[in-house]
Amino acid sequence: MAGVMDGASEMRVPHATELLDFVAAALSFDPVRIAATRDAVLNTMGEPAMVDAAAVIAGFNGITRIADATGIPLEDFKAEQSENWRATLGINQFANTKS
Amino acid sequence: MPIRPDLLQAQDRAWTSLGHPGTWWTGADRVAIAAETRHAASCPLCAARAEALSPAMVGGDHATLGSLPGAAVEAIHRIRTDSGRIGESWIVRLMAGGMDEARYVELVSVVAITIAIDTFRSAVGLEVLPLPPVHLGAPRPSRPVGVKRDLCWVSTLAPEDVGPDDPDIYLMRRDGPPERSGANIQRALSLVPQAMLQWWDMLEVMYMPGPWMRDFTREYRAVSHAQIEMLAARVSALNRCIY
Repeated sequence: MAGVMDGASEMRVPHATELLDFVAAALSFDPVRIAATRDAVLNTMGEPAMVDAAAVIAGFNGITRIADATGIPLEDFKAEQSENWRATLGINQFANTKS
Repeated sequence: MPIRPDLLQAQDRAWTSLGHPGTWWTGADRVAIAAETRHAASCPLCAARAEALSPAMVGGDHATLGSLPGAAVEAIHRIRTDSGRIGESWIVRLMAGGMDEARYVELVSVVAITIAIDTFRSAVGLEVLPLPPVHLGAPRPSRPVGVKRDLCWVSTLAPEDVGPDDPDIYLMRRDGPPERSGANIQRALSLVPQAMLQWWDMLEVMYMPGPWMRDFTREYRAVSHAQIEMLAARVSALNRCIY
């Protein structure tokens, strides 16, 4: 789980390194960086996986704006279930920067 | 490059819809919002605010295309460049500055659609789309009767409050649970049902419909459930989104 936060820690999800690098590049809109990471995903996972990964990244780059712009809270049961690892990963600190 | 036809069609529908009159904004306004969303990425004020400990510490004017009211420009730029630090006090100031909450919700939908489509095309190596053509006509203001401001900073329509005159935003089934569970994130845009439908009809093709998301017996995409959730979580972390 730490890899989701820092983009570097080992993840047990197949092709995590390539996919996490692709996320960071896609959100940067830097075409050189995107091309390099896209090729890495293409070479290891193939074209349909690269396209579906790009679609998920893009969709969530939109939906995070909706969540943040409307102040939608996490459901109580989700907050309870994730309380420990949200604290461990520092997610709760995001709330302190809001203004 | 082969891209799933449903993916291209869903994005095409959403993109085209931006040029049509909405519930609260004209087609020209909505296209202007999309254009301003793109323009915000190169705004020096936004860049300076993003670097500051607090965005409120940096004053100045946005570099704007100039066709939208100031409150709309502020909303678009902040959502595009620094959404993770948006707080309720900013929304309150925005509303005090003349932004109506329903117009704001529709604006959020247009910004999100623009960001999502631009992100996708840039990620797969396609040119960004030209802005959609503007269709003339007046917006058709309407507000669901059952909306309440009890969940977040804007009013929302809970599944149990959807009335017979409201669009079927949660895709109710005659037998069984609704396609859309009414999770908080699904309610976020429900004050403006048309804007909500335009967003979710596209997102569910880019991501997954709810029933697929909850079905771990098979994979519906070329990336697995685990990979999808990892991608989504990483985007949230980079955008400092706490949802």
